[in-house]
Amino acid sequence: MELRIRNVSKTYAKSVHALKDVTLTIPRGMFGLLGRNGAGKSTLMRILATLQQPDEGSVHLGDIDVIREKEKVRQTLGYLPQSFGFHPRVSAERLLEHFAVLKGIVEPGVRRDAVESLLRRTNLWEVRRQRVGTFSGGMRQRLGVAVALLGNPKLIVVDEPTAGLDPEERVRFLNLLSEIGEASAVILSTHIVADVEELCNRLAIIDRGEILLEAEPARAIEQLRSRIWRRTVSRHELPALERELPVISTKLLAGRTIAHVYAEASPGAGFEPVEPDMKDVYFSVMAGHHGRRRRADAEMAS
Amino acid sequence: MRLREVFRYELGYRLRSPSTWSYAAFLFLLMGWGLVATAGDSAAAVHVNSPEEVAQGTVLFGGLFGLLVSAALFGDAAIRDVAAGMDPFLYTTRLRKTEYLGGRFLAALAVNAIVVLAIPLGFWVATLTPLVEAEALGPNRLAAYLQPLLLFLLPNLVLVGAILFTIGSVARQVIPVYLGAAGIFIGYMVVADDWSRIESPMLSALADPLGINALQAMHRYWTPSELQIRLIGFPAMLVWNRVLWLAIAAGVLAVLHRRFRFTHADGGGRRRRRRRISRAAIDTLMEWRGPMDLPQAAAVFGLRTRVRQTLAVARQSLAEVMSGRAFPVAFAGAIGLILLWGWNAPDTAFDTPTWPVTRLVVSTVLAARSVLIPWLVIAVYAGELVWKDREVGAAEIADAAPVPTGIALLGRFLALVGIIVAFHAAFLAGGILLQILQGYYKFELGLYLRVLFGLNLVANVLLGALAMTVHVLVNQKYVGQILVLMACLLSLLAGMKGLPYLAVYNSGPGWTYSDMNGFGPFLGPYVWFKLYWAAWALLLLVIAVLFWVRGREPGVRRRIARARARLRGTTLRMAGVAAALILALGGFVFYNTKVLNEDPPRNEVGRPQAEYERRYGRFEDAPQPVLTAADLRLEVHPGEPAVDMRGGYRLVNRSGVSLDSVHVVLDRNVEVRSISLDRAARPAVVDEETGYRIFELERALEPGGSLRLSFDLAFRPRGFRSRGIQTAVVGNGTYFDRRWLPFIGYQPRFELSDDAARKRFGLGPQPRLPGPGDAEARRRDTSLRNEGRVQFEAIVGTAADQTAVVTGLLRRSWTENGRRYVHYGADGPVPFGPAVFSARYAVREDRWRDVELQIFHHPEHGYNVDRMLAGMKASLDYYTKVFGPYQFRQLRVVEIPPYSVNGRALVTTIVFGEQNFITRAGEGRVDHTFFGTAHEVAHSWWGGQVRGAHARGNDLLSEALSNYSAMMVTEKVLGPEQARRVYDFQMDRYLSKRAEFESDVPLLEVEEHPHIAYGKGAVALYTLREHLGEEVLNGVLRRFVEKHRAGGPPYPTSRDLLAELRAVTPGSMQYLLTDLFETITLWDVETRRAVAARTAGGRYEVTLDVVAKKLRADSVGRETETPMNDFVEIGVFAPGTGDGLGAPLYLKRHRVRSGKQTIRVTVPREPARAGVDPWRKLIDRDREDNMADVETGATAAPRS
Repeated sequence: MELRIRNVSKTYAKSVHALKDVTLTIPRGMFGLLGRNGAGKSTLMRILATLQQPDEGSVHLGDIDVIREKEKVRQTLGYLPQSFGFHPRVSAERLLEHFAVLKGIVEPGVRRDAVESLLRRTNLWEVRRQRVGTFSGGMRQRLGVAVALLGNPKLIVVDEPTAGLDPEERVRFLNLLSEIGEASAVILSTHIVADVEELCNRLAIIDRGEILLEAEPARAIEQLRSRIWRRTVSRHELPALERELPVISTKLLAGRTIAHVYAEASPGAGFEPVEPDMKDVYFSVMAGHHGRRRRADAEMAS
Repeated sequence: MRLREVFRYELGYRLRSPSTWSYAAFLFLLMGWGLVATAGDSAAAVHVNSPEEVAQGTVLFGGLFGLLVSAALFGDAAIRDVAAGMDPFLYTTRLRKTEYLGGRFLAALAVNAIVVLAIPLGFWVATLTPLVEAEALGPNRLAAYLQPLLLFLLPNLVLVGAILFTIGSVARQVIPVYLGAAGIFIGYMVVADDWSRIESPMLSALADPLGINALQAMHRYWTPSELQIRLIGFPAMLVWNRVLWLAIAAGVLAVLHRRFRFTHADGGGRRRRRRRISRAAIDTLMEWRGPMDLPQAAAVFGLRTRVRQTLAVARQSLAEVMSGRAFPVAFAGAIGLILLWGWNAPDTAFDTPTWPVTRLVVSTVLAARSVLIPWLVIAVYAGELVWKDREVGAAEIADAAPVPTGIALLGRFLALVGIIVAFHAAFLAGGILLQILQGYYKFELGLYLRVLFGLNLVANVLLGALAMTVHVLVNQKYVGQILVLMACLLSLLAGMKGLPYLAVYNSGPGWTYSDMNGFGPFLGPYVWFKLYWAAWALLLLVIAVLFWVRGREPGVRRRIARARARLRGTTLRMAGVAAALILALGGFVFYNTKVLNEDPPRNEVGRPQAEYERRYGRFEDAPQPVLTAADLRLEVHPGEPAVDMRGGYRLVNRSGVSLDSVHVVLDRNVEVRSISLDRAARPAVVDEETGYRIFELERALEPGGSLRLSFDLAFRPRGFRSRGIQTAVVGNGTYFDRRWLPFIGYQPRFELSDDAARKRFGLGPQPRLPGPGDAEARRRDTSLRNEGRVQFEAIVGTAADQTAVVTGLLRRSWTENGRRYVHYGADGPVPFGPAVFSARYAVREDRWRDVELQIFHHPEHGYNVDRMLAGMKASLDYYTKVFGPYQFRQLRVVEIPPYSVNGRALVTTIVFGEQNFITRAGEGRVDHTFFGTAHEVAHSWWGGQVRGAHARGNDLLSEALSNYSAMMVTEKVLGPEQARRVYDFQMDRYLSKRAEFESDVPLLEVEEHPHIAYGKGAVALYTLREHLGEEVLNGVLRRFVEKHRAGGPPYPTSRDLLAELRAVTPGSMQYLLTDLFETITLWDVETRRAVAARTAGGRYEVTLDVVAKKLRADSVGRETETPMNDFVEIGVFAPGTGDGLGAPLYLKRHRVRSGKQTIRVTVPREPARAGVDPWRKLIDRDREDNMADVETGATAAPRS
């Protein structure tokens, strides 16, 4: 089942364009949506999760029209929002059971098994009787994952899930997601480049409501080969450098500033080529040297 | 399946939640305590647990507070998912709207229904406790508790729940739910007024959403015996009403179902725990250009910082609260409420409005009726202020800032004060708007400011301190709000239940404002008590600081440990200061109220009177010399206040035996400087506790001998009181009578009259007043002993800028030593009852023939003086013509502050409270001022010239006749239409008050039943006049006056008047006298049908099917039918305008029998309405069915 998003636009009041003409195709597997805060990721996630209506455009999950047939979508949907909470005085087990019923797992035996397996998977089995109000941030996150995964959904929408997880939890979480991604379509929105880099089959970069790039990670990186140059400068030289050349990122390392520059060819002395990574892709796209320009080219061609 | 799951989940959640049970406990305790608090009145006619009382108590009282609980429960059910952040999960399951909303609502309803059970349960359990006197209770009947529950509480719950749940689900915030609950309450009160004007009984029964008005209407005319035992049952109309409103509730839920969507709230101010979704802000990239230089700003911590921090916290909290959508709504709502509640506040008697003077607006509307608004505001907003940071997730940031806890609290407290001030400003706006809309422009802003921003503000700020502390200590917002409301209620009712003011927070004596005297004697005690409680408030705030939740340690033990750690430095000093102030102020108040003055606990009240009776009652009929003359010199010092009294009595032995002692009774509040006789006598008994003294004469006083009693007394109150603040001698508007002067011999009137108190002190019940047929009774005209008609002269001195007035005739006035003096006296002997007035009066003088008329009034109250003069002249005109001459040469009206009586007639002087001077009458409308003046002037004959025996039925001779006389004057001057309005008022007064009294008596035996004496009396005499004719009745009255004018025993009783009336009544009407005077008789006439058929000559023949019944009631209201064959008016009327009757086409008296009958009359034109007793002259509880619309048709066959 693939998810087809076509020309979706959404404008909030006061003419804030949250999404502008977004078109994406998301097959089975992990799809990463990368962008900074306020880019429109959460809005898109909510539309996919049937919690918001786009002003224009269509979304189809296989044959199901997501916008008009919300009920059908929800039957096979798992959503983990960016910020969420639970009724504090209920136990994890009771909550999960409650959601299991709501998600259609009515058979008591089946339900109990599903709940147990999910709690074990998310390492919450030991604390299943404790009230959710006593959970730490990571435990709450894991419970959210458990709820989202109830009922083996075919479409899983995950909005900025790893912010706030410690490194171990993050790794485990991402592994879990990629396992699931083998059987379902998982859409992961994040601003942490590393999440997308390691796991996703496809990714898209979004900024100010527009899709700037849609590609496979490897290919995106490949396209930048020998276009990213590095130079070490001092703090005072930096402003001059920025005026002359397209600096896409800077980093402080032991008192010296390392600048990455996008250029078709070596910009000059002191620059050395680097193996581009996802971060470079991201910064290039955001700076406008990549992606958007590519789309503009494609339009001119057609 | 899913619905069941949602239901079960929610039910489980709520039942496991401690707040649910605390609501139940709250309602339980509230009902119990409400019952105990109101059950103390031993004058109650019905058992406190009669079905009617149970219904009223549970439905009204319980329903009102149940509304609050419903707001909390349904509001929480509606918004918890959004507030907790669980909604994205819920909305993305297979859940459908119906299942989600239905399951939640039903569960909330079920929980609330369980909690609501606490209401009848609380009532019931309270009746089992020893706190309620056993004799106030009847048997507890299950049906009495069940019926109101099933008929009112539960269906109302569904309706209210539907509305509140809908509001909560749509708004997704809690304050709109509270506003909704307030709106329901207020809306209901407002509509309740209009509701009673709906003519059609069916429509009015159905139009009542909560059924409360229907319940009260049902009970309105029930007698004591009905109220005692009759169950409400399930009247058909009420059941239909419930069905209708349940259907409407379902409709509301249907609307919710349509509107509700499983969507993320689109930028509606939805709160998230960690981030706000800012719609309009476009995120800008943080520009980073290498290492940054952070601005170097040094922080300074000192006193100035503290102050600025406090103000910053205050400003920020205030802005947060005021920027919410709810605040302006609540603000506007407060103004609207003032207008709605206060619109008819200025109405007094006969629908005659008074001017909405600021005093009235401020004391009734703003202080009394609207007291709920500040409570709600304080309870809710104190909670918001304490919880806001935690709710939006800013708490940890704020807690880690270098702001001392005390300042965090103080700033918020200041914000709360700001909110209170804002609402008081709303009250001010509302009050002024109310006055403008009613055409009154003397705003007296100073008074508004003094009350709203002075007295009331102080009280509410104190409550605010309590509210904040409660919210800090009780770490649960909703429970805290409820506790605060309970505390407010308690502080208000401390006074009613006699709890000591020093022990109940924020309680203290109230105040009455007077145009003449300002806040008068009330301001001092009020302020002292408030200062005392302010010291407590300081301590409370210190406690709040100690227990303030800062950081993440909300456990109880941790908080106590932190509190102990915080008790250092400034906080400790503040606590010390607070404690010191409490002790100092408390001690001062205690000294004044309990040491310098008496303030006995409730069950000790009345002991001195009991002792008086116990020790000296045996002297009741002992022969004593009689007071025949008195000369007095009184020095009034209004400013202190104090009165010095010097004088002498001339006592004459008219007993026929020689007397060896003189008994003197003095008021206990009076300081006796000296009291002595003019001959050798030994003070054998000087009993300070009761005021009784006995002088034993060395040589007995022979019959006919006389002696002189001289005395020098002072009334000099010390300190201040908390209860029974004396209002007799005040800065402007002093009024006192002879109670401080000595009485001769034992006086039964000072005995304890309250039966419950008598029992407590071991005295038997008081002997009843003798009946009108009792020959013994005729010997006295008053309960006073040893005083007859007295010759007196009084010299009264007062402050230089005041005028003193005394009942009697003014001899002269002069100034001496910087004080004004007057000399009043009585020409012939008059009943000795001098009353003294002193105030800064303006005087209006006039004449009627050779009688001097004067009106002493407050200079600002001149606008009704002309009307009073008109009333005086018209009354003197009519009464002199009909009853005989007025016996004095002076007649005056004196105005007094509204502390004591409303209107009273004394010798030559009529006393009127301020209220009478501010009535406002439209053209041709009944004027209370006019009527009241005529009534009081009439007392010069009825009670003055004619003094009735001291027996039951005495009021017939004074009040009923005065009321009747006033009605006659009204008719003569303002027309029969106005007299009819007065008649209707008196009738309604009689019928509606019947239920409040323990026993019912015939007019002839009336004793302390004002509604019978004034109401039924006027009705009876006026009816008699209709039947006998004015000439005949007035002739009887004139002869009565002539016969008894001379006075002296034997004194006339009501039976004597009845005998005179019987003598002139023709045989066919004698039944009237029996019905109206000797028995308690009620009529019930009804016109079932009225049909008109055109006759050949163009006239109309009207056929009426009339059913009539006459009932006799006994003293507890049991009725038996008695045969009827009375003269009753039959009337046929042409079409009129609106609801009124048109021109009468036929109006004549017919004989109407018991049972059904047909009456045929012919009229010249087409009739519109016809029936029996069209002007509602009969004493009939249901007068709506007297008339029927006429059906015009062909010949209508009479049906039997």
